[in-house]
Amino acid sequence: MMHKIYRYRNLSFVVADETEVILSVVFKSDGDKGHTAINIPGSNDCEIEDSGTQNIGIGSGLRGDTTIVTTEVANLIPEEDEIRIEYRFNGQLIKEHVNLKSEAERATIILYIKFPAP
Amino acid sequence: MKLSKAWIVLVMLPTWLTAQEKLSKLQPPSSPASGILGLQPTTVLAPKSYQALETALFSNFINNNSGSIVPNDFALEFTPYWTQNHSLSVDEYLYPKSSIDQVIRNSSFSLASTQHFQLGDSTMSNALAFGYRTTFYFGNHKDREEVERFTGLLSTDQKVKAKIVSIAEYLIANKEITNQKELMAAIGATIVNAVYESGKIGSLKEAEEFMKDIVAKSILIPPLDTAAPDPFLDSLYSLIDQKLSAEIVFNEFKTYIRERYGFSLDVAFAGVLNFPANKFESSYIARQSFWITPAYRFKDKFSFLKILGVLRYEWYNADYYNAYFPGIKTYENNLDFGLSVAGEFRKFALSFEMVGRNSHSELPAGTDAEGNKLFRKEQNSDFQYIASFSYNLTEQVVLSYSLGNRFEPVLNPDNTLVSLLSLNIGFGSPAKNDIDWRKFNLR
Repeated sequence: MMHKIYRYRNLSFVVADETEVILSVVFKSDGDKGHTAINIPGSNDCEIEDSGTQNIGIGSGLRGDTTIVTTEVANLIPEEDEIRIEYRFNGQLIKEHVNLKSEAERATIILYIKFPAP
Repeated sequence: MKLSKAWIVLVMLPTWLTAQEKLSKLQPPSSPASGILGLQPTTVLAPKSYQALETALFSNFINNNSGSIVPNDFALEFTPYWTQNHSLSVDEYLYPKSSIDQVIRNSSFSLASTQHFQLGDSTMSNALAFGYRTTFYFGNHKDREEVERFTGLLSTDQKVKAKIVSIAEYLIANKEITNQKELMAAIGATIVNAVYESGKIGSLKEAEEFMKDIVAKSILIPPLDTAAPDPFLDSLYSLIDQKLSAEIVFNEFKTYIRERYGFSLDVAFAGVLNFPANKFESSYIARQSFWITPAYRFKDKFSFLKILGVLRYEWYNADYYNAYFPGIKTYENNLDFGLSVAGEFRKFALSFEMVGRNSHSELPAGTDAEGNKLFRKEQNSDFQYIASFSYNLTEQVVLSYSLGNRFEPVLNPDNTLVSLLSLNIGFGSPAKNDIDWRKFNLR
């Protein structure tokens, strides 16, 4: 199968009201090309090209609705066997996605995240 | 009994490996180690394929006078760099910052063994060959332009799709819509903006047409059930993917990376370790080879065509050959030079090589009046031509056959006919469950 969708529901990251949340998307496998769109409560949606970091706001601004992080990724190089991506908030690993390329060389990865108060 | 089990594995492997759905197409066996051990007849070493671990079982059909017909020879090639992740971007992968990076990434090590290394008195002995090679690629301006074009196209598709998927999932997850009509109305503006702003479509009107087409086709897919929305959403994303032609762009880019046009250079070394008494303590480095293989791949309608040159220096250990091949003429220094033309198609490949050889040795010729050692030089020349055909049974199993006339072998110099059938099997990094050897009941 060339393309597959992976959904990871019920993820959460506990964060204080005034603490800024930095999302890091790290392409661990070699030869990945991708784009990440982040839909947060309110109108400050943002994007990350390939690996990168983005400040998605402070804890109080992320309460209520579920935040959606969507990565559209493709692996292009013949030496690589897998797609492996780490998602971190403030350095803490929240989800590692892994799929073999024999399963999908192109993938859509969707994370559903809540940001409860401590 | 062992032989019959081996053949069961050989017969079953194509079917078994089809199920793995591996996606990196393997090439016929060509490791330096198998080359120097004589397990493959060609002199030109084709560039390494992309498997981290590659192994080949050779079936060498030799006539009765020469000995064995049992296919028990083995070769393995291993590229250690690609067994680990390095977070290399596509750009870093295609354009390494230094030559050292290229050497490290492309370094592969090979090993081959045989129990049928024939000595001068026709006894069989064990031999082990070891090899190394690396590849340098020399990019050019056209290559850079092509890579930038593909990167832009792929990036645009990904950006558009990630935005649309993210907003649709957000609306569903947070129950901001209650039915399919509301969803399509809500994401309509996102589709138009994402497509138009990406530059993929030239005008706002065309972007609106793009959106309307998606909305119209969304009626034909499984209807949205907000309690279980995934089937509808998956079909909707597939529609968008098709409309963007994302799969086509990806496949074209992937193919280009595999078959970049331009110039590359392979450098390889291999040596043979022979155990004439079949004892580990008693071994000789019988011969060593050093290859330089420049290659050029054409572009556009001639992209199937590849031309390879070869320059190989082969050194024979004179002391070893004098001891174990008495009365048989060998030359200590051999220089091979030639050309190979290869046509690579979707399921099969054809190649033809022509290689000349100049050989010489300096032999003792007594001493002069003052007691100084004298030498005389003996020279010879030879010519080899071999045609090869390979067919990909699956992406991971290649059957290849070579026919032609080789250089005069050390033993049976009149026996220059080459007729070699081989099967090459590629392993990437299979998951633990991918291989279930119990199926084959091997002990």
